[in-house]
This record gives sequence, C-alpha cells and structure tokens, in this order.
Amino acid sequence: MVNQIFLQIVTGLQLGAIYVLIALGLTLIFGTLGVVNFTHGALFMLGAFSAVIISGNYGFVAAIIIVPPFLFFFGVLMERFIVRFFYDRPHTDQILVTFGFAIVIQETLKWIFGSNNIPFKMPAWGRGILKLHEYVPFLDGFVAYPKWRFILITVSFFTVIALFALLQFTRFGMVIRAGMNDSEILSFLGINITRRFTLVFGLGSMIAGLAGVFAGPVTNVDPGLGMFYLVPSFLVVVIGGMGSLPGAVLASFLLGMAQSFTVSFAGLQAIVVYIVAVVVLLFMPRGLLGKKGVLD
Amino acid sequence: MGIINRGTIHLTVFALIVLTFPFWFEYTGGYAGLDTKIIIWAIFALGFDLLLITGYLSFGHAAFFGISAYATGLMLLHYSSNIIEAMIVGVVVSTIAAVIIGFLTLRRTGIYFSVLTLAFGEMFHTAAVSIFSGLTGGENGLTGLPTPTLFGEKMQGSNVFYLCAIFLIIGFYLARRITRSPFGLMLKSLKSNQTRLEYIGINVQFYKNSAFVLSSIYAAVAGSLMVIYEPYVATEFLEWKTSGTLVIMSVMGGVGTLFGPMIGAAFMLYFENVASVFLEEQWLLALGIMFMAIVVYLPGGFVDGYKRMMRHWVKKNQA
Repeated sequence: MVNQIFLQIVTGLQLGAIYVLIALGLTLIFGTLGVVNFTHGALFMLGAFSAVIISGNYGFVAAIIIVPPFLFFFGVLMERFIVRFFYDRPHTDQILVTFGFAIVIQETLKWIFGSNNIPFKMPAWGRGILKLHEYVPFLDGFVAYPKWRFILITVSFFTVIALFALLQFTRFGMVIRAGMNDSEILSFLGINITRRFTLVFGLGSMIAGLAGVFAGPVTNVDPGLGMFYLVPSFLVVVIGGMGSLPGAVLASFLLGMAQSFTVSFAGLQAIVVYIVAVVVLLFMPRGLLGKKGVLD
Repeated sequence: MGIINRGTIHLTVFALIVLTFPFWFEYTGGYAGLDTKIIIWAIFALGFDLLLITGYLSFGHAAFFGISAYATGLMLLHYSSNIIEAMIVGVVVSTIAAVIIGFLTLRRTGIYFSVLTLAFGEMFHTAAVSIFSGLTGGENGLTGLPTPTLFGEKMQGSNVFYLCAIFLIIGFYLARRITRSPFGLMLKSLKSNQTRLEYIGINVQFYKNSAFVLSSIYAAVAGSLMVIYEPYVATEFLEWKTSGTLVIMSVMGGVGTLFGPMIGAAFMLYFENVASVFLEEQWLLALGIMFMAIVVYLPGGFVDGYKRMMRHWVKKNQA
C-alpha cells in the first residue's frame, strides 16, 4: 500500500514536471507581454523534433547544448518579426496569429518528417531503472522506477529554481517584474522594455525547447505533439491563475497528481484534468493564485 | 418601400444563389456532394459569426457540432431513421451543453474564453474516445447508421442538399434579423466596452451567454445535418481541428459580416479539394501561411479586401 502510494506520488511529480516545463514559458510570456501564445505547444514540439534529430546524429549531450539556444533564437525571431506587431492589436488577433503560426510549424514538421512517431533513443546514462527501496527506508520489498523520469523531475525542479532566481534576484528580473506591472512607466524611465520583452519571449521559448529535449524520450515525437500538450498546459495556466508563476507550478503538480491517482480508472484518468479545472473555476474563477484586478 | 427593400433583395439573391448552387458548381471544378458540405459548413460559420461580433473568439465550437452529430447519429441508430426526432434531440442536447460551457467560460475576459473553450472542447473529444467509447464507438466513430429518412423519403443526394439549403436560407434570414435588431446592436457593443455597458445597467452576462448559445444552436444544426448528409460520425467532429477550421474560415472570409464566414467556408473546402491535387498533403501548410498573411495584413478578411478594392477602383475612375 505504502509502495503504491509512493509510486503514484512519483508518477504525479513526473507528469507535473512536464506540465511545469511547458506552462512556465507560457505563463511567463503571458504575464510579461500579455500575449496568449498558441504557438507554445508547437515550440515545445520543435524542441522535441530538433532534439531527436541532433541526439540521433551527435548524441544526447549535443542536443542539450544546442536545442535550448536554438529555441531561444527562434523565439527571439518570432517575437521580432511576428508577435511585436500585435502588441497594440486586440487580444483575439494575437491569438489568431500565434494559432496560425502553430499550424505552419506543425505542417512544416509533418512535411519534413511525416506524421509517424520518431523513436527517441535515450542516452545510456538515462536508461534503466532506479531501485527505490535502497534509498527510501519505509518502502518494503522491491520498488523500481525508470531512471529517466527522475532526471525529468530534477531538470524541471532546477529550471523552476533558476527562473525564480532570475526574476527575483537580478536586475533583469527586476525590470521584467516592473514591466509586468506597468511597462509604460518603465519606458518613461528610460528603460528599453522592448528589447527585454524580446528576451523574455526567447526565454519562454527556450524553456519549451528544454522541455522538448527531456520530455521527448517519454512521449511520442510526432506532429500532433504540440497540440496534445498545449491543452493541458493552458489548463495549468488557467488553474494556477493567468500570469502567475507560482500558480503554474502548483497547478502543474495538482494536475499531475490528479492524473496519477486516477490511474486505476482508465476513463476517468483521461478527463480528470478537466474535472479539476471545472471545480477550480467554479469556486475560484481567477485560478488558485490569480491576482485580483488582473484581466477581469 | 413596402415589401421590396434592400433586405428582401439581399435575401432573394442569396436564396437564388444557394438554390441554384448545384447547377453551376460542377463547372467550377467541384464534385457532387461537395456543394452540400459547403452549405453545411456555411451554416456552422454563419452561426459562429453571431458570436464573433461580440469579440469573443471560441476555439471549442467543435464540441457543439460534434455533440449534436453524435446525438443525431445515436438517434438514427437506436430510435428511428426519421430525421425530425434525431435533429431535435441533437440540437437540444447540444444547446444544454452550450449553456453549461457558456456559464463556465464567459465569466471573465476574452483571453480566458479562448483558452477555456479550447480546453473544454478537447474535454468532449477525450470523453468521447475514453469513458463514453462504449456509446460512441471510440476512435472508430459511430458507424453502421441507417440511411436517414424524412416522411418515408430517403435523404440522399439532392434531397439532402435542399434540406441543408433551406436551413441555410432560414439561418441567414434569422442572423440578418438578429444583427440588425437592438439585441444585435447590444452584441456588437460588447466588443467595445463592457464596463461602460455595465455602468448603464445592462446585463452584460446575459448578452454574452445568448450570443454563445445562439451560435452553438447553428453549430448543432450543422452537426446534425452533417450526419444526415453522410451517415457516419467521426471523432474528428469533436476535435480541436474542427474548431480551428471554423476559426480559419471565419477570419479569412471576414468577421462580423455574415457573408464573409460563408465565403470563407466555401473557399476553404474548395481550396482543400483543388489545391490538394497539386499540393498534396501540403495544402494545409499553404492555407496556414495564407491565414497568417490575412491576419497580419487584412484583418477584415476577403470581404474587407473586396471593399478596399472597390473603393480604390471608384477613386481611380473619379480621377
């Protein structure tokens, strides 16, 4: 019994870890730039596709080194040449253009790689299982769990810490947080907020790329991947409170746990995330940690 | 002006175009049956425009199309092949779903609405292929439906076309009446400033919900007709792709013009068939690029493009 609950908690953490990695960028971009990025799922997918290609040719470490900067660059270009022209236009136009771009990315990947799943080979150091009963005293008997999933949880954990540190303790982060509040005043103070916005978009895109690299081996890499993860990450962002980073982290693990603990009811597991969303929205329309007055 | 005013002229011309559609459609390179599909999607898009004039962009209208399609299909399969009961049940079930989803998603801003409608739309798709798969046939969709009938008459070929055409003409008449009524003006004003509307004592929530439910009734009728046209319910009807297609055709045609989304629907289905001959699988990529170009450079869609061209032409002639 203890074993089973423990394993379900670990599975919940692992599912939440993927959601966190995707939702962080989404909510960061939304909180700072006010743009709902429907392309975010496609960026994650682009990360997974580039990772599968690069790690196939040059090894997994090369993918870790190349893919996030590539996605950062991609995000910067996307902000510079598409999104920037939409800051002054209605929100619906922003949604439309990012949605259109998601389709373009998805169809391009389908054109190049076909619509079948590309098998993602894990690196040797990530394969195999971890014997949990050797580390955790209260487990009895033999309890094992795939090693890769712990790597995923670790990566996710450190990404969250790094992002919070960046926003909380650096000058760049301070400017961004001020920009979240009132970007107009900030530009009056002589701070080039436009350039910082570009960097934030790149940063969000980079985290999506990192998610693609590490989640790729445990998920299907096919052109449906982007939309498949976009919907739960939207739910994460809404449940957590739009634009709230701690909210996104909390909601990710809430959804991960909800999915993990309903595993014995196959049908329920598929829709439990929506049930959680309905319940949260009924009682807390702003989401768990949403601030009053933001986007009412 | 009496009976002959602009409204009746518009409606008559529209009805004539729709009713004669099968006769000249062949000459433009379309195949038989595509005309019916275009009419059905035009109903879907027309209703969607009633929501779009309020400034709310839904990414989940596939839900109402699909729920109605499933309900209609299940009625045909288990109750009778008569379409009247099947359509009524389809539309009623779907409208109930719309009232609930509207209540949940319309409580906050348009951004929330877009994100949440996408999510809840996917909820119905996921539910249909998981917990309800016994009822819906899971991933295979609902198959083995009998040929639908109306008063003993088999609904096939041109029968279906005229059934759909009548619904489209009635739908267009109603949509026109709605957008030109004080109620319709209220819907349009939601787009500009809701806070101000609230301050003058208007129940904003009521109007938002009405627009949402109205548009989903159109979606439900379209979904129901789709099953009558082709007695098979695909899981795709509930998928985000259907909602996305609807958004793309409405925006390309021109939001808020009633005509625009219908033109968009015709264009997209026609493009799918013609362009896929030489672009093969990449027609969707071409469409995506076209869609982005329209969002960036011509937010008013085809209708706006036509108006701009006319204005340009008139100016040139005057000079």
